[in-house]
Amino acid sequence: MKMPRPIDSTLHGVTDYTVGTALLTFLPKRVDIDGTPAGSQIRAAGAIHAGYSTLTDYPLGVVKAIPFKAHLALDAVGALALAATPFVIGQWKKGLKQWVPHVALATFELSLLAITDPSGKGDFHGDVEAVRRANSENPQRKIYEGPLAVRPGSATERAAAA
Amino acid sequence: MRANVWSGRNTVQVENVPDPKILNENDAIVRITSTAICGSDLHLYDGYVPTMKRGDILGHEFMGEVVEKGPGVRNLEVGDRVVVPFPIACGNCWSCKHELYSVCENTNPNSGLAEKLFGHATAGIFGYSHLTGGYAGGQAEYARVPYADVNQIKIEDDLPDEKVLFLSDILPTGWFGADLCDIEGGEVIAVFGAGPVGQLAMASALMMGAERVIAIDGYEYRLAMARNKAGATDVIDFSVDPDIVEQLKELTGGRGPDAVIDAVGMEASHGHGALHAIDRVKQANRMESDRGHALRDAILSCRPGGIVSVIGVYGGLMDKFPTGALMNKGLQLRAGQAHVQRYMKLLYEHIKNGDIDPSFVITHRLGLDQAPDGFETFKHKQDDCVKVVLNP
Repeated sequence: MKMPRPIDSTLHGVTDYTVGTALLTFLPKRVDIDGTPAGSQIRAAGAIHAGYSTLTDYPLGVVKAIPFKAHLALDAVGALALAATPFVIGQWKKGLKQWVPHVALATFELSLLAITDPSGKGDFHGDVEAVRRANSENPQRKIYEGPLAVRPGSATERAAAA
Repeated sequence: MRANVWSGRNTVQVENVPDPKILNENDAIVRITSTAICGSDLHLYDGYVPTMKRGDILGHEFMGEVVEKGPGVRNLEVGDRVVVPFPIACGNCWSCKHELYSVCENTNPNSGLAEKLFGHATAGIFGYSHLTGGYAGGQAEYARVPYADVNQIKIEDDLPDEKVLFLSDILPTGWFGADLCDIEGGEVIAVFGAGPVGQLAMASALMMGAERVIAIDGYEYRLAMARNKAGATDVIDFSVDPDIVEQLKELTGGRGPDAVIDAVGMEASHGHGALHAIDRVKQANRMESDRGHALRDAILSCRPGGIVSVIGVYGGLMDKFPTGALMNKGLQLRAGQAHVQRYMKLLYEHIKNGDIDPSFVITHRLGLDQAPDGFETFKHKQDDCVKVVLNP
């Protein structure tokens, strides 16, 4: 069975900015790691994440320089790097708070990636082919053929006549 | 009976539900022959209108045949063919007496909710959340129409459903949007949004004598319909250049349109960079209910002393509202859910006279059971979809 990927590029962007802002602002204090190396790492991760989000070519990007698929690759690499950091530099020995937030965030990020549609289309779940088969109209003909459907000035004329 | 019901965000399904019954002496039951999916239904579908409940029957654009009526109904007989307006009006309150039917004071049983959000209650609306009364909608085989003497127009000739169905909402709404612009002849009118309501607002502005009508949208096929069918004289495709304000100035010698119609509403998608990102994130996190790029750009682009007409649906609060531009340019901001009953007879006459054929917006005609695919196709602008009509 094909795995559902309901997150489109816009919703992914919403999550990027929401999580990035949370990491950068209140989250370190909330989990009581403010002022520790772990807190600084979480803040840096938030800043970097929000930063390259603004440079991504998706609806919420400001300068559309990074393709969406490259953004997703950066997400994956970033998540793995964040999870690895406490273990690489040894701060995991100082207690749970020094590594659990990193691993939790990485797990969240990888889970989000797993349900994000890399094409960016996301949650479209209609059957367009079935609609085309059932449709008794011809959209192309309705849009591109035939005369105007309105007579300009007709309301003014009728009001004057009345 | 079969009906299309809301089942959560981005989900509708066609289910068997109990048939409607006469509850009050002024009610009628209509067997629905044609119904449609409205652009504003997508706000419900996307989960941005509060107070929806699972199982609510959607749909506020419908017509059909009267099959039963209460003893208090005087103007209708069983067998009459009627189009039903989306706002439910009592016909007797101060608002109705002043033809302000969409703010009827008597038809919203959940007026307390609306008063908290809007300061006052508004009229009940078919199939449009419990904020507007929780009335069952018309994407179904049958519907109960309260105050049936007031809330219908009889179709007494053999015009096909498709020509008169849109008297229920989008034609009067488009007309209302143009009517708010005080068109006297020769004006330049810009219309944000080339969806069904936007198309009919453009057509209405032309009928009223506007000299130029500028259509603004991000989909080429919709702009093509605006040009080929609704009579738009100019188009702006914001997927090519998102700076709409500057383009409108260029098209009008730097002055700006005389009036601008916002036929977009709370889910505008043409935003610019950071502003759009902030709005999108805040709306998704429920920190603001309305994404207001269209309204912002409408206010910024309208010529000084001009009129901004808002017929796109907004639900609550939006940020970064340009009060400075509104005040210092001396703009008039006019808005509302259309007072459909005020315009139905006039527009019916225009249709009969051949002044307008509103069926040009119909690109998809499906069975009621295909409503879920119809919603998805409409929402995601697949298959050049502009308007979906459902035949129960």
